[in-house]
Amino acid sequence: MDLFLHYLSMPYLFDGVGYTLLITVLGLLGGLAMGVVLAAMQLSRFRGLAVIARGYSIIFRGTPLILQMVFCYNALPLIGIKLSAISAASLALALNEAPFIAEILRANVIGVERGQVSAGQALGMTPSAIMRRIIAPQAIRSMVPALGNEAVSALKNSSLASVVAVQELTLRSTQLASATFDFFSIFFASGLMYLVLTGAIAIIQILVEMLLDLDRPPPREQLRRALRALLPGRPEPSRADGSAVVPQGAGEVDRKAVADPLPPAAPKAAAVTPADREARARRLAGNGFAVEVKGVRKIYGSQTVLDGIDLSVRAGEVVALLGPSGSGKSTLLRCINRLEGWEGGTIRVGGQSLGSDEDGRPRSPRGVAQMRASVGVGMVFQQFNLFGHLTARENIAGPLRWVQGLSRFDSHRQADELLERVGLSHRVGALPRHLSGGQQQRVAIARAVAPGPSVLLLDEPTSALDPELVGEVLEVIRRLAVEEGLAMIISTHQLRFAGEVADRIVFLSGGRIVEEGPAQQMLRAPSHPLTVRFLSSMNAE
Amino acid sequence: MARTLDTHSGGRRMSVVSQFRSALAGALALAVAAGGLATALPSKAEAAAPEACAALQAKYPGLKGKTLVNAINPHTPGYETIDPSDPTKYIGFDIDLGEAIGECLGFKLTYKPVTFASLLTTLQAGQADIVISDIYATKDRAKAADFITYLKVFDGVLVAKGNPKGITGINLSLCGTVAAENTGYVEVPLIQALEAECKAAGKSAPEILLFDNNANCIQAILAGRADTYINDVNTVDGAVKAYPDKLAKATAVTLPYSVGIGVPRNNVEFRDAVFAALSEIQKSGLQAELMKKWNLPAEQLESPTLVLAD
Repeated sequence: MDLFLHYLSMPYLFDGVGYTLLITVLGLLGGLAMGVVLAAMQLSRFRGLAVIARGYSIIFRGTPLILQMVFCYNALPLIGIKLSAISAASLALALNEAPFIAEILRANVIGVERGQVSAGQALGMTPSAIMRRIIAPQAIRSMVPALGNEAVSALKNSSLASVVAVQELTLRSTQLASATFDFFSIFFASGLMYLVLTGAIAIIQILVEMLLDLDRPPPREQLRRALRALLPGRPEPSRADGSAVVPQGAGEVDRKAVADPLPPAAPKAAAVTPADREARARRLAGNGFAVEVKGVRKIYGSQTVLDGIDLSVRAGEVVALLGPSGSGKSTLLRCINRLEGWEGGTIRVGGQSLGSDEDGRPRSPRGVAQMRASVGVGMVFQQFNLFGHLTARENIAGPLRWVQGLSRFDSHRQADELLERVGLSHRVGALPRHLSGGQQQRVAIARAVAPGPSVLLLDEPTSALDPELVGEVLEVIRRLAVEEGLAMIISTHQLRFAGEVADRIVFLSGGRIVEEGPAQQMLRAPSHPLTVRFLSSMNAE
Repeated sequence: MARTLDTHSGGRRMSVVSQFRSALAGALALAVAAGGLATALPSKAEAAAPEACAALQAKYPGLKGKTLVNAINPHTPGYETIDPSDPTKYIGFDIDLGEAIGECLGFKLTYKPVTFASLLTTLQAGQADIVISDIYATKDRAKAADFITYLKVFDGVLVAKGNPKGITGINLSLCGTVAAENTGYVEVPLIQALEAECKAAGKSAPEILLFDNNANCIQAILAGRADTYINDVNTVDGAVKAYPDKLAKATAVTLPYSVGIGVPRNNVEFRDAVFAALSEIQKSGLQAELMKKWNLPAEQLESPTLVLAD
């Protein structure tokens, strides 16, 4: 035991710990830098880059680290690169860690819901802004445990640097054992040192996870609580004194629709009479086209999803897309704001093509994003697609700052106004996962209209909602249609809603427009047999 | 191993704990003894031959004032290990000899500890300038480095106390046994070559466990994984002294090799300088003195000869 303690406190071994840490840190930093590059290459839309990155991974993940160490130390000098032992070992560790870290990065980037990426695109965010503002913050949170693992494994792997004469802990332990024949006490001592190091990494990992936890109260409150825990003499102030801070987003999911009623409607949102409808139709007929779809065909593999669609929507007009599942409603909407490409035909929004420039050359993803923002085409998704790491307010205010360039103050003011209009001013600080489906969709609608688009696309906005939450969302959309005067294309299964809100109903089946006409007429007296059958089946439900 | 250390005589059936403790105590005594010796004995080469060395420094001025890197496998007590009382230093006969050569030619040495198998690759890669690490100068190894010999090779056969397998050398007595060796040691091919002989005698071939340093080979015998470890006799003696209750030297073996200093193959001038300095050190009696200090038998001394690739 004395010998064990003797070795445990031996400066020679402590210095060895220093070298172990140095190589580990250098190896991890280098591996992280290279891992970011490798992951970016693999996620890139350029196939060549992905192939190169994959090839690198195969080589450096598939060969033992000990060989890579010896290679960096003894083979590189043959081509004129003579590295010191520490540099060679750090380089080898970095080369070896890179593909593992790249896979962690890639898995967590892919793990962020695709819907959030679509939402970012629809808001006109460029690919780099989506990566920085939406994907990275969420991916980093979820990759902390895996990176902690990787750090522990790198620390242990650093012991292989002993083969290239780095004076790290393992090398020093074996040398000491050889000189003293004192095998066991030395290795118990160095084993304990490794345990302390890996334990420290585990603690760091837990701290980072706590810091990044979105459900944690703000740092100042955390500090206060920690101090209270350390100084038990001072009692916790009672909640009654009003100083208690309500943690962001804490609390139960608010399922009671009555808890957040919409503010009173503006006078013109009142019931619409047939005479009003005719007047409105005459007024709309004089407007220019907001959306023009001409002969659009889209094919997935062998299946034709859109088979020659022609559709024109005038500024301020509300069009409801009806049709059975798989009829192409969602795909048409996603083509209109260029979330998807198509094989034939043209689509113009505000007179402009989003996907190609004046000379017909395809735009880059960045260029398409900028066009979406400048033309002003917003989208509301079936699955809400709120940014999971941002509060209700930030879901609206963030894109206003990142795309429209508003100041923090202005973006917050506008977000708060919109949240009040959708009846959620009491939930500004809540995270999406603490909101009910209806509340989430109301935030998503507010987010879509915040930049003041000229066209709003709504893709089955109530289909993912519990029946009792459908009403609140439809009411928000109905008011938007009346108050905002922006062109809207809504795919929906809500016939009554379509009849009330839409100027025109377009019926799709099998990727074709089967029938279209004024909303009331389409619902009351459809002419095409497919429309008749669909409407009667819907009414039967 | 120049240790006059009193080994404690434990009971024949000691408990595991007391065995462990006695091993630790023995090791500590060894460490103290080694540290004491290193400071007590003169280790400087000044006495060598000042005029001769001055002449050599004049003849090879390029080496003077330089710091060269000596690649060693510091797991061979008596030849090269770290100094247990100051682990940042290396001690042993090879270390003293290298310092003496450096002293004579006017250069200093730093040390690069590597596995035995990477001694010559380290030299080839230019990560070291010289290898003085109890390495046997064979024709095979001469493909990687030029060698200047300085000691004859005497091997000892380390076995468990009482030699239960009756091993008597690198011969048929090894058939069916397990030998621990270091990767790259010359004994490895010699033991492997027994396979045919053993088969002819109707016995199974010897098995070889390969490790990276002496300590692991010795542990293999202590743990019962290996029956023998055949290596430099002084290393074997050292192990027996450290574990007198568990290990024994069965016999000594002469191998047709010499221990050599490895230098890069294409640098004849440096090789000549080391050769000349070594000759002077032997002539002055310094090498014999150092051998005595580290308890190497005097008859092991060998005049320098070159071992080069064919």
